[in-house]
Amino acid sequence: MPVFLKEFFKRNGTGMGSLMLALVLFWTIGLIILPQLSMLDFSFRPNLPPPEIGGPKDVYTLENYKYLIYGPEGGSQDYNAVDLKVFFRTLVAAVCVTIFNLILCYPIAYYLAQTKGNHIRIFALMLIIPYWINEILRAFALRIIFGETGVLNNALVGLGIFDTPFDFIRNDIALYAGLGYAYILLMIFPIYNVIESLDRNQIEAARDMGASWVKIHQRVVIPYAKPGISSGCTMVFMLSAGALAAPQILGGPSSLWFTQLIYQQFNDNSDWPQGAAYAVVLLVTCILLVLAVMRLFKVNMGDIGK
Amino acid sequence: MKNLSFTRISIWIYLAVFFAYLLGPLIIMSATAFNSPSFPRMTPWECLTFEWFSALFQDERILNGIWNSILVGAGTVVLSVAMGLAGALMLTQIWPKLRATYYTIIIAPILIPGVVIGISTLVFWDRINRMLGLGADSFLSNGLFLTVIGQSTFIASYCMLVLVARLQRYDVALTEAALDLGATHAQAFRKVLLPFMRPAIASAAVLAFLASFENYNTTTFTFGEYPTLTIELAQKVRYGITPAISALAFIIVVLTVFAALANEASIRRKELVAMARKKATVEELESGKLRLPGFLSSNSAAVALVVVACATVAVAGTAAVYSPQQCIAEVQEQKRLETEQRIQELRRQRELRRQEQQQQQGETAPQAQPSGNNSGFGGVFNPGNLSGDSSSGEDASPTEEPPAGNNSGFGGVFNPGNLSGGDGGGSDN
Repeated sequence: MPVFLKEFFKRNGTGMGSLMLALVLFWTIGLIILPQLSMLDFSFRPNLPPPEIGGPKDVYTLENYKYLIYGPEGGSQDYNAVDLKVFFRTLVAAVCVTIFNLILCYPIAYYLAQTKGNHIRIFALMLIIPYWINEILRAFALRIIFGETGVLNNALVGLGIFDTPFDFIRNDIALYAGLGYAYILLMIFPIYNVIESLDRNQIEAARDMGASWVKIHQRVVIPYAKPGISSGCTMVFMLSAGALAAPQILGGPSSLWFTQLIYQQFNDNSDWPQGAAYAVVLLVTCILLVLAVMRLFKVNMGDIGK
Repeated sequence: MKNLSFTRISIWIYLAVFFAYLLGPLIIMSATAFNSPSFPRMTPWECLTFEWFSALFQDERILNGIWNSILVGAGTVVLSVAMGLAGALMLTQIWPKLRATYYTIIIAPILIPGVVIGISTLVFWDRINRMLGLGADSFLSNGLFLTVIGQSTFIASYCMLVLVARLQRYDVALTEAALDLGATHAQAFRKVLLPFMRPAIASAAVLAFLASFENYNTTTFTFGEYPTLTIELAQKVRYGITPAISALAFIIVVLTVFAALANEASIRRKELVAMARKKATVEELESGKLRLPGFLSSNSAAVALVVVACATVAVAGTAAVYSPQQCIAEVQEQKRLETEQRIQELRRQRELRRQEQQQQQGETAPQAQPSGNNSGFGGVFNPGNLSGDSSSGEDASPTEEPPAGNNSGFGGVFNPGNLSGGDGGGSDN
């Protein structure tokens, strides 16, 4: 037995130690690592009926990934324009939602963290309550508002701003508002946590030295809050790129989210390997994008989730 | 000074807009639960009704979904709190060189999209199932099992974060002292560490249950034969929405507000009691005559809690005796009158047009034909938009059919469309 294992059992007792070890191993290996590897492996296999799995036809192939780029074999187009367009649109929209959320939430987080008083607790409660409501119901609430005969259209037409109801759903405005809405708390919380620990004297010192309001944020608050900002942005980006409920409920009939394509491959086409390949592409692209941005802004992975 | 007040005002405006965006949708959705049209909407307000609540409680699928959600939630809480606690304890003891890697692995499920977790769980356990040579109805491909496993993968990470925060303040010397005094490892864990961790375990459990209850992305791939409440809701919302869903949302909102206020009130109460104890003299404490502050005194959350509770009771009481039939009948009557009025107006217009047309036909026959056609279309579309609108159409049609004048009115609208609109009008109808 290796030394550190012996040490471990001596510290925790044999019974408790093995229970702990078993739980941790089950979680890390059985639930996190192996399923992901299994999905990766599965994405390189052809779509076979169950009896043929493991048979001679079950060989590794790049077919599923080729399908995303080139479309069906012998198809009329050189590239799989539909799926690729959905893919890039999803990424760009997720980035836009993240930026929108950051701009919306940074002032609130700063205000909450730097002000003392009883009303801050009430604000915090008001922030948390919407987050406890079901994701589906939040999207549903926005659909009531943005619908063709919804409150917003009635108000706009009533005020004479528009002549005819504006189709917010077909133009994807409802979708972006819904995605932004869903993840507000995940952006505010990390930023709030970091700014709260910022010493107020630093801000006052900067002000005494004659720094303008913009300069204070640019040189003092934002550099200090960088870990919080980056972990908030990472979470919002990953979650909105991987969102499924909001696009299904708020998305226009003609526009799809990449996760909806994955869902279709699994549920409508019963092509699991294809769906797995799409999921791998989504996961890998998102992770690479996040890592690239983190390197760009010089943030460590260890800061995420703190 | 002037500058300062300007910033203040802009901050308050910003806060107002922000919270309107945050809370407005929930308030509007709650309001639609009490409006009578069968399409959830707040404007125009028609009748106060409670029928959507009874519709909700008669919906078998929703009730079944709630039951499944509770089952899944219970399983997920047990599994993910256990794994989260083990993971947190391991984090404090693991070999330093492995620590960063280990932390990355257990924090990763938070960042992996839920869809990916659902798919990988499904694919992996399907494979295990096949490797063991089990059938499609074995325990490993059971929807409940898969959902609990899939959700626990990432909910355990949340639990771990909550538990680690508390564990960092734990003094290991306490466990060592217990062991030195002759406790077994299990006893030391149960009697020393566990009581210390209890508040964190409770909040981790609540968090886990809520996360499990509202999860959609992972569950949608794994639920099998056990659709949870969220899955049922998503099905309903995607294929036609009714105010019964608003009613459910309203109930959830009220429960949430209750829980939040109760939590807040109890925290505040503890603070107040602690403060009173601090101020009290030794004599007061010893004689046991210390007067603790009342439950409601200087505790705004408790006051709000009582107000909300009273309001709920009042609303429930009203719902039991209130009947919206009278109001609904009136609104329908009004709608019918409006429709009739419009139809008659249309008829008059058509008469006028026909007369004009006849006059024009005498002069320039070929030109008049298209223009008459166009206006005929307009006539067909107008009433279609007004009465065929999804809410009022469904609502109004049962009572609108009996009156004879109405029937002929409809016929009057559609007929000329067929006659003058030719093939275009026909296909539209």
